[in-house]
Amino acid sequence: MNWSLFFGELVSGLTLGSIYALIALGYTMVYGILKLLNFAHGDVYMIGAFVGFFILEWLGGPLSPVVTGWLAVAIMFAVAMLVCGGLGVGIERFAYRPLRDAPRIAPLISALGVSIFLQNSALLLWGPQFRDYNTFDLIGVKSYSIGNNFYISNVQILTISVSIGLTIVLALVVSRTRTGKAMRATSFDRDAAEMMGISIDRVISFTFFLGSALAAAGGVMFGLVFGQIFSLMGFTAGLKGFTAAVVGGIGSIPGAVLGGFLIGLTEAFATGYLPGGSVYANLYVFALLIVMFLIRPTGLLGSPVIQKV
Amino acid sequence: MRKLLVAAVLAAAVAGLATAAWGAAKAPKRVSSASNAENALVKCGKTRLVGLMAPFTGPAASIGVNQVHWANFFKNAYNRSHKKKIKFVNEDTMLGSANGTAEAVKGAQALGSNRGVLGVVGPAGSNEVKATTGALKGAGLGWVSGSATNTQITLDGTRTGYFFRTVPPDSSQSKSVSAYITATLKLKRVYIIDDQEAYSTGLADEVQAQLKAKGVTVGRDGVSQQQSDFSSIINKIPRNTQLVYLPWQLPPKGKAFGQQMKSLGRSGTKLMGSDGLFDPLFSSLGNNVYDSFFPLNPADKRVAAFKKSHGGNSELFGGPSYVAAQVVVGAIDRACKDGKATRAEVRRQIKTTKIRASASLLGLPVAFDRHGDMIKKPFGIYHSVKGVFVRVA
Repeated sequence: MNWSLFFGELVSGLTLGSIYALIALGYTMVYGILKLLNFAHGDVYMIGAFVGFFILEWLGGPLSPVVTGWLAVAIMFAVAMLVCGGLGVGIERFAYRPLRDAPRIAPLISALGVSIFLQNSALLLWGPQFRDYNTFDLIGVKSYSIGNNFYISNVQILTISVSIGLTIVLALVVSRTRTGKAMRATSFDRDAAEMMGISIDRVISFTFFLGSALAAAGGVMFGLVFGQIFSLMGFTAGLKGFTAAVVGGIGSIPGAVLGGFLIGLTEAFATGYLPGGSVYANLYVFALLIVMFLIRPTGLLGSPVIQKV
Repeated sequence: MRKLLVAAVLAAAVAGLATAAWGAAKAPKRVSSASNAENALVKCGKTRLVGLMAPFTGPAASIGVNQVHWANFFKNAYNRSHKKKIKFVNEDTMLGSANGTAEAVKGAQALGSNRGVLGVVGPAGSNEVKATTGALKGAGLGWVSGSATNTQITLDGTRTGYFFRTVPPDSSQSKSVSAYITATLKLKRVYIIDDQEAYSTGLADEVQAQLKAKGVTVGRDGVSQQQSDFSSIINKIPRNTQLVYLPWQLPPKGKAFGQQMKSLGRSGTKLMGSDGLFDPLFSSLGNNVYDSFFPLNPADKRVAAFKKSHGGNSELFGGPSYVAAQVVVGAIDRACKDGKATRAEVRRQIKTTKIRASASLLGLPVAFDRHGDMIKKPFGIYHSVKGVFVRVA
């Protein structure tokens, strides 16, 4: 057994999974409340990565930031999350809310339209070039080893821990706060929640804010770990995040996190161990999705919807 | 009533045909077939049009812009010293973008249908050369690339007499690379990662075969050009690997790979790129980085002049595009001696090009063999010293 390869792929899978998990959370929360597949979510993630990049530039760039590298990273996270949270609220307000009572296909098409709009706006504004986070210059990437087989870098540690931290915060918000209780009530029965005095519009806006902010954090993480961002990066990442949400059981917050890590690990181990895996890792990821649908259509932690007949 | 309906339909059809015929008569003249296109006489006039195909934007823009700068450097110098002027018709190929080669094909079609264009400089990538062959050859245009190095694109006979290049082919590059790895660096364990494109896989195959023949243990893998996460594939590279060879075209990806190698504790492993990675982005990775590149003469006074006019940046990758422009414009000049030229004449003139070593930026004479390759075609090896590539072989 090549333990070095095994642990290497494990760390890579967890890092990638952390990013997918953050994207999947947005998908699952919006679906839980609106039963809407927000296909623009991957592009919000891309915008988050770009906001992080421009904040870094504004702070003086990776070579000479006006604040310390780690503070710059914290500011990049905070601003990207705020901007994208606002963007999510705006998208909901103008693209989805007017269609809330329309047939379900209408907001779905609207979501695809918003996705293409965001992608092309990014292309128009920032061009198709790669933008470089230059994490090495910014925070000085260091690699730590345990024995001869286990290696992990400080950026990977940051990514995994920020992802877990944000998930815990989200879980606390949903389970311990009044707004969280309102979110759960809206998800369970929107009409009944409204009759109980819950402002549905506000709850939905807050859900979009949270989901989009998490996606932005994922975008900044991507830039920090993999170095480069580009205008079309949201499509594939969004698709993987959506797959993670479905594999975990769409509508389930723990399921989204579990699904994210599972997809990340599948991709990493497929690259490491399966034939042609480095080129065709996506083949194995989406094969997993199909197998999951065949074995457990509701996903790992999803529960079947009981319909009154 | 039925007769009235039939009459109305007939009248509409006649009106439609008439409108179409009128439209065709009014429309600007376009090239209608290959033989018409290549034999159509064009009045050369005071300003001659040359197509310039390069990745102005997209993932490969950093090297594309080098090529554009060098081609324009030639154009500006030429226009200053000649009464007849040259004007480039620019087409962005967006090499490496998600659209694949579609943008390059669109650009080639646009150049083909522009009757004033007599020859083309570019495109940059071998895949693009393959993809644009139909459009450029169909329009009778000759084209000269300053960076497409896949061995087969000149040898497969598909574009003989139409396509030429001012860079040596991969067969020459692979020999220089494998010789340097085995004879100079004396390495025994090498890992090759291609990027699944024609240029990359062709070069990787050749280097792999030559290294194996010299007793080197060679691992092989591939990545997609769209990929940004290389951590999983880096984990697969055995820890005792001495050098990773990356025959890639996108310097930002090469940099990302090198950075991820470092972050995974592999900073001791040497990296070697191909001509596509000959860029400050790749050399900035440190002293463990090598590259193979065209045999440009850094001592040429034009390199110094270019550097001076471009903020101190020599952008050597674009140098062969200067020579490509030199070849195309020279051919147009000769074809236009009587004031008129056809694309076929320009192609014939490209084929018989002879540029002396002293006049060639490459530091060697430029003349083409029957396949469209340069007759003399050595490749240089460079080593990154303090973030700058220095020729070592």
